[in-house]
Amino acid sequence: MIFHPAIIALSAGSLLVSLMLLYSAFHGIRILRNWDMGSGSESQLQLERRTYLISTLVACALGFQLLSLFLFIHTVDCMSGLFVGAMCAAGSLKVNPFGYPAIVLRVINSILAGQWLMINHADNKAFDYPLIRKKYGMLLVIMPLIVAETAIQGAYFMGLKPEVITSCCGVLFSADSEGWASGMAALPPVPVAIAFYGFMAATISAGILFYTRGVGPYLFAGLNLCAATACVIALICLISPYFYESPTHHCPFCILQGEYRYVGYAFYLTLLAGAAAGLGVGTLTPFQGVESLKRIIPELQRTLALVSILSYSGFVVVAVSGILFSNLRLTGY
Amino acid sequence: MIEIKNIRKVFNAGKTNEFAAIDGVSLQVDSDRITVFKGPSGSGKTTLLSILGCMVRPTSGRIEVNGREITSLPEQFLAEIRRSGFGFIFQQYNLIRGMTALENVMIPSYPTGERRSSLKKRAVELLDLFNVSHKAGSRVEELSGGEAQRVTIARALMNNPRFVIADEPTAHLDTKLSREFMDIMLGLKTEGKTILIASHDPVVCDSIAVDRLVGMRDGRITTVDDRR
Amino acid sequence: MTFIQKQRNILDVALCSLLRRKGKNLSLVVAYVFVIFLLSSVMFITDALKREASFVLKDTPEMVVQRLVAGRHELVPTAYAKVIGKIKGVQSVSARLWGYYYDATNGANYTLIVHQDLITSPGSIMVGRGVARHLSAGENGTIPFKACDGSYLFLEIRSVLPSESELVSADLVLMSELDFRRLFQMPEGYATDLVLRVRNVRELSTIAAKVVQLLPDTRPVSRDEILRTYDAVFSWRSGLVIVIFAGALCAFLILAWDKATGLSAEEKREIGLLKAVGWETSDVLLMKFWEGMAVSLVSFLTGIILAYLHIFFTSASLFEPALKGWSVLYPDFRLTPFIDGQHAATLFFLTVVPYTAATIVPSWRTATMDPDSVMRS
Repeated sequence: MIFHPAIIALSAGSLLVSLMLLYSAFHGIRILRNWDMGSGSESQLQLERRTYLISTLVACALGFQLLSLFLFIHTVDCMSGLFVGAMCAAGSLKVNPFGYPAIVLRVINSILAGQWLMINHADNKAFDYPLIRKKYGMLLVIMPLIVAETAIQGAYFMGLKPEVITSCCGVLFSADSEGWASGMAALPPVPVAIAFYGFMAATISAGILFYTRGVGPYLFAGLNLCAATACVIALICLISPYFYESPTHHCPFCILQGEYRYVGYAFYLTLLAGAAAGLGVGTLTPFQGVESLKRIIPELQRTLALVSILSYSGFVVVAVSGILFSNLRLTGY
Repeated sequence: MIEIKNIRKVFNAGKTNEFAAIDGVSLQVDSDRITVFKGPSGSGKTTLLSILGCMVRPTSGRIEVNGREITSLPEQFLAEIRRSGFGFIFQQYNLIRGMTALENVMIPSYPTGERRSSLKKRAVELLDLFNVSHKAGSRVEELSGGEAQRVTIARALMNNPRFVIADEPTAHLDTKLSREFMDIMLGLKTEGKTILIASHDPVVCDSIAVDRLVGMRDGRITTVDDRR
Repeated sequence: MTFIQKQRNILDVALCSLLRRKGKNLSLVVAYVFVIFLLSSVMFITDALKREASFVLKDTPEMVVQRLVAGRHELVPTAYAKVIGKIKGVQSVSARLWGYYYDATNGANYTLIVHQDLITSPGSIMVGRGVARHLSAGENGTIPFKACDGSYLFLEIRSVLPSESELVSADLVLMSELDFRRLFQMPEGYATDLVLRVRNVRELSTIAAKVVQLLPDTRPVSRDEILRTYDAVFSWRSGLVIVIFAGALCAFLILAWDKATGLSAEEKREIGLLKAVGWETSDVLLMKFWEGMAVSLVSFLTGIILAYLHIFFTSASLFEPALKGWSVLYPDFRLTPFIDGQHAATLFFLTVVPYTAATIVPSWRTATMDPDSVMRS
């Protein structure tokens, strides 16, 4: 284990988030068991008040989660100097088998927590807590994931031993080697470009259609998922080389470094916001029929759709401007 | 109009010191009237006022405000009903020290997210109505009893509520100021507000402005005196 | 728009409420600032030292070859250089002469290095600023060096080294090979160590292996290895210090919890009033959130600025006794100011996050106060 201040901070933060979630889940179970909307008793009132505590805890936990996601990437990036052969986060994460699961779980948990907060927001607007059971059920699903994330991250940090020889991003994301990552990097740029721009255009159009007419929420959410995947692939095999101005450098982490003006943060923030908000439109659709939510959900969905459209547009703008102003040309490559 | 049916409010339920502050009260409060609840301390009039003002949920019974059933609403909706439908005047004034009179008047409207300038305009108008606009910028500690009372009334009217609820409003006022207070209430009644007052002050109870006097004791209504 | 306006209104009440209870909040802020100051000072100084070290090492050769005898660093025969020079991939090999000199009269340690520029001018030296300052000698002054046979060698200062990185060059004395050998009576044909430049950095490990194979009594040390070691050692140190300060952090959190829980009667009355006049639980929570943010932000910025001044402008005066010790020539080193987002984020997670978490439950308790409590009082 490396005794780095940022590692201590991240571990402490994750531990805290896990504890907050455990506490919330504990009270969530009590709410699931004893909830009785019709009762005006003291205990029911206490439960209703608990819901505020849980909302606050989960909202704070999500905030911490998002911030720590970026601190995590940044720290891992900085530590690359400690490992032979690692030049950026891609290498540091490969130091032991827990690196990549930790970051993937972090992203999934952030998105899930975002979905929970959206449902919670809708539920709090209705006068009869229509989604109370569903949302606390969902909390019980998220909680173990967060705890698992803390554990895996802990295992990753504990297993960090300097001087471990790892493969750097050049090997991991180079077209010549084998494995999922390089498989992605080796994809031909033109079809990827078509897929990327195509899914983006389709998602944004579906979003606009949903925003203006309120039709096709599932179509939008589905396309949104495809677009998010396309974004990740495009980032690796299409967009990042333009920022590095090197046709063989495909790493999705190096763009987070100062050399490239931290443009990676713009990509990941817009991608995360776009995906979470777009997915939220789909998540909320099944509850449209609930009587007390009939007016609340469509309004919330429209806001989410707008956030998603704007975020994805931001992503495309940053990507396209990067490609246009780069000295690299991938055509014919 | 507020209608309550068979309301009970039990404190410390299930414990040895359990007691019912309100024990089976049914009542209809008509619009554009001044209703006064009279009774000794501990008779349950303050609790009844908080139930009528949507501050607490009764242990059992039903409440309808303007025909809407509110008994089982979550707290946040009660808060909203309270904010938009009720103005409160408390015995202790309960102005927030360290803030100016103007800010105190504006406080009930803060969560609505209304623009600051329009809030200010409305608050100044209200202070003006009660002749305390010259004190708008003063901290509330610097106000006299009568001024504080009028700032409290202005605060109660900030969100233009249908109902005004006053709990022992004249407890700290001399006779002259108490009469003045009842005159203001009468003025509000003619503007179409429904006023509920809990008091055992004769100046209030015997005022000609009062339409209905409800006597209370031990959590029950003992007398109802309709004066018109 | 209404959303922003609402936040503004509530923030207004929150700030007002904080200012009304200056005494209580000030003590909290002071403790908060102190904790942040301590933690960020540690992080600033270790990071600055780390950068300073990598700055020094930037121009060093990729690999140094030392000779070991009985596990100890020994003089290396210059003939080894020819052997190593024949290894494929080695660009150049050169022998270095350097060592330490203890000046008994002044009680200071100097680092002596033989420099190529002085090869033709024995008798003259170049010194670092620390040495010059310590001996209050400028250009053209002379410094007496006591050789190991007891005789004195008077060397003239040709120039004082620029103070680009004083931490490194402060105690330096550059001299000619002749003077160096005279001073320490070091035999010809031997050097302190050998330095290599290689064509391709990626082949370093292969070259190192070959060096050990050809000359089994040597130890090659690569620059990356030194850098990594420095990095690990400094990070480890600051991590350790942070763990030690965890006690202070816990004490602060308990204080924060206590302050947030122990509401005065007046505060309770105020919250009750807000709830009575139509503030919702979440509005009060929002107000508490803004209060916490204001306290955190003020403390965070103050703490970081104080730590920054402490480390970079007063040269870590509070840590001085702990940091110094191996040479008295260090008193005036100035670290290069440096701060980045990672510092801020790490500090945020070590202080603001636990603070926020510690105040959630008390804030919630406050916010769920019965709205009719004002009526009952």
